[in-house]
Amino acid sequence: MNAPVRLDLRDASTFPTRRVEDWKWSDLKRFLREAPAVSPAIVVAPGGPFAALGGQEIAFGNGLTVDAASEARFEGAGVLRLRFVSDAQSTGHQASATVVVPAGAELLVLESYEGAGSAYASNVGLTFEVGEGARLTRVVLLEEPEDVISVSVADVTVAPHARYEHTVLASGAKLQRHETRVNHPGHGASVRLDGLYVLAGSRHADLTTVVDHQGVGGVTSQLTKGVVADSARGVFQGRIVVDRGADQTDARMGHHALILSDKAEIDAKPELEIYADDVSCAHGNTIGALDENALFYARARGVPEHEARVMLTQAFLGEVTDRIEHEGAREAAQAWLAERLEALL
Amino acid sequence: MSVSQETIETVAGLEKYKHGFVTDIEQEFAPKGLNADIVRFISEKKGEPEWMLEWRLAAFERWLAMEEPTWAKVDYTPVDYQDLHYYAAPRTKAKPKSLDEIDPEILATYEKLGIPLKEQMVLAGVEGAPKYAVDAVFDSVSVVTTFREELAKSGVIFMSMSEALREHPELVKKYLGSVVPVSDNYFAALNSAVFSDGSFVYIPPGVRCPMELSTYFRINAENTGQFERTLIIADKGAYVSYLEGCTAPMRDENQLHAAVVELVALEDAEIKYSTVQNWWPGDPVTGKGGIYNFVTKRADCRGDRSKVSWTQVETGSAVTWKYPSCILKGEGSVGEFYSIAITNGRQQADTGTKMIHLGANTRSRIIAKGVSAGKSVSTYRGLVSAHPKAKGARNFTQCDSLLIGKECAAHTVPYVEARNGSAQFEHEATTTRLSEDQLFYAMQRGLSQEEAVQLLVNGFVREVLQELPMEFAVEAQKLVAISLEGSVG
Repeated sequence: MNAPVRLDLRDASTFPTRRVEDWKWSDLKRFLREAPAVSPAIVVAPGGPFAALGGQEIAFGNGLTVDAASEARFEGAGVLRLRFVSDAQSTGHQASATVVVPAGAELLVLESYEGAGSAYASNVGLTFEVGEGARLTRVVLLEEPEDVISVSVADVTVAPHARYEHTVLASGAKLQRHETRVNHPGHGASVRLDGLYVLAGSRHADLTTVVDHQGVGGVTSQLTKGVVADSARGVFQGRIVVDRGADQTDARMGHHALILSDKAEIDAKPELEIYADDVSCAHGNTIGALDENALFYARARGVPEHEARVMLTQAFLGEVTDRIEHEGAREAAQAWLAERLEALL
Repeated sequence: MSVSQETIETVAGLEKYKHGFVTDIEQEFAPKGLNADIVRFISEKKGEPEWMLEWRLAAFERWLAMEEPTWAKVDYTPVDYQDLHYYAAPRTKAKPKSLDEIDPEILATYEKLGIPLKEQMVLAGVEGAPKYAVDAVFDSVSVVTTFREELAKSGVIFMSMSEALREHPELVKKYLGSVVPVSDNYFAALNSAVFSDGSFVYIPPGVRCPMELSTYFRINAENTGQFERTLIIADKGAYVSYLEGCTAPMRDENQLHAAVVELVALEDAEIKYSTVQNWWPGDPVTGKGGIYNFVTKRADCRGDRSKVSWTQVETGSAVTWKYPSCILKGEGSVGEFYSIAITNGRQQADTGTKMIHLGANTRSRIIAKGVSAGKSVSTYRGLVSAHPKAKGARNFTQCDSLLIGKECAAHTVPYVEARNGSAQFEHEATTTRLSEDQLFYAMQRGLSQEEAVQLLVNGFVREVLQELPMEFAVEAQKLVAISLEGSVG
């Protein structure tokens, strides 16, 4: 097995090509041949898309915090708004952050990627540590210009009896990759990895996850849904690994997507890699068009076609946002979805 | 014979790999090693036309420039390509006119193989034997081809590749390498350069082949890689069912098998290709000595409404690397893949299929069942893709893995690429272990643990077994039982 790619924007030799299996459908080298110049520093006004939900804020502007550091660390509970703001022209920047949730604590991370400008490349590396019995909910919003490159990779370590849950909301970019690698200890810990992509134009979004079950009795539930229109491209790669001895693992993965155009593309690779026998693992993957029968039914009941399409698509995708337990975060995600769909359809 | 009696005998026969024997007949070898001269030697030995030699040499050149693939989840001692014989032909006095003239040792070999296909009866000319046409491949050169005349009556051409090169060079030239190009992959290039022999089938337009065609492969001589080349063409509206069964003698050294199978289905044609593979899987404890099976199988559904169906039962080989695929080019063409892969001991199987939807309204169906026991590894790896022109393409895929034991592994690696708005793809996969409840129930009814496992596994793979021709299904069912010997308790 290939070691995961560790992208460094300053070193072009770390840029993966499509010959790297895990980057097969997100050929970074095609769009970025050389290391870009470093983006200028910018000032970020506090707030962001999740401002209404309060909490503490850590904001990066073109890869730098207010203190001009390219790294940040947070340890605590409550609500954290982790913002990665880009405003650059054809330059590149990268940042990294570590978030620690102490044992027994509960933290909601509202992670936003806010972009302005054009053709920039952004690379974010994150580390999450969820302590024993702790709970981390992460809601990620990717809203960037159509012609930029944005890569974000998170390493998540979960302790026994802890919960890690994330929901990624992606609207794509020229190349947008959101990757999460979870070390799952089993022993009462549970992991939920959800994703949603709504892509138009020539946007590309790649949601990649790897969950490595290392101990007995781990639970993982995964649901990713998406819709692509125009000549957009959605990529889903999910890998569930069950190590030797990680018995009684229960892992479910689902990826379901709609293609609305003949030029759009969806690529999916739901993988299972199982080294223990007393497990129950399953994945399902469906790709297709909107159900014409359901559409016909709605229209026969007097719902105009456009409205019917929005309604059906929203119902289809809404299953993902409904799974967010935090009320405020759920409502923000639902509002984002409704807005995106209205623009798409 | 009662079922229990049969079970007892099957289990008794498990003691040793029953096909592990060696027939001693004189062999003619090419010197060890691989270079352009060996390629020329093979071509000359077989009296091939000049274009064929050129084709082989070109493939050899390509092969030299290629690297052995490493992406499969298999791990094996690398093959020393210079330490193999690339040609071994049994010495035959003259061209045999009847079965009596065949070396009795060869006939005895068939006898030892048991009668899974009733081929022996056919070979022995037993009255009332079912109509099977057998193209027996005995270490690289077809020794006898039966029923050719009867087939010829309906215009079916069924002969060894070397004969086809002599008698129907135009057909061979037209189709050879048209589905699997010489540079397709490392092993296909190697095969193209040094293939010894294989089967050639041509079914003329509108003909429904009057019998099931079958090839019996056997790897016999020590240190000879076997490079089969099979080409089946079903012309417009034709139908053929082809069976391939494999056994090999017990050997200490790893043997390489890199076959290429090409199927071409023209308009409204249908090809059904079934394989039961039971090669020596190597020592169950050390994994030493088994066969390496690196096969390229591909079907080209060229014509509209054509159909190709692959069914495979993979129980043998130390390492399997095999992806029978369908290129669905013709409008409304259909591809099917039914597979059972059973691994035990230290076996490794990386197998699956590719369904490439190019034409409109093409459909495909994949049912893959993997059973891993012992310390084995079984991987399903597949690709389903729909290109922009494949409007209305549909696929259904189901991969189920069953794990027996703490040290085995099962992987599922499906790739799905949808590139148009009307394609509809469904995929589902599960990995579980044998249900304790079901085992308990079966044992409570008086079955031993081994019998109960066999029963449940046979139920697990039933969907695929049903796709096999009847005679094969019976053999396959026994194979399933044999393969899992020693996996529980």
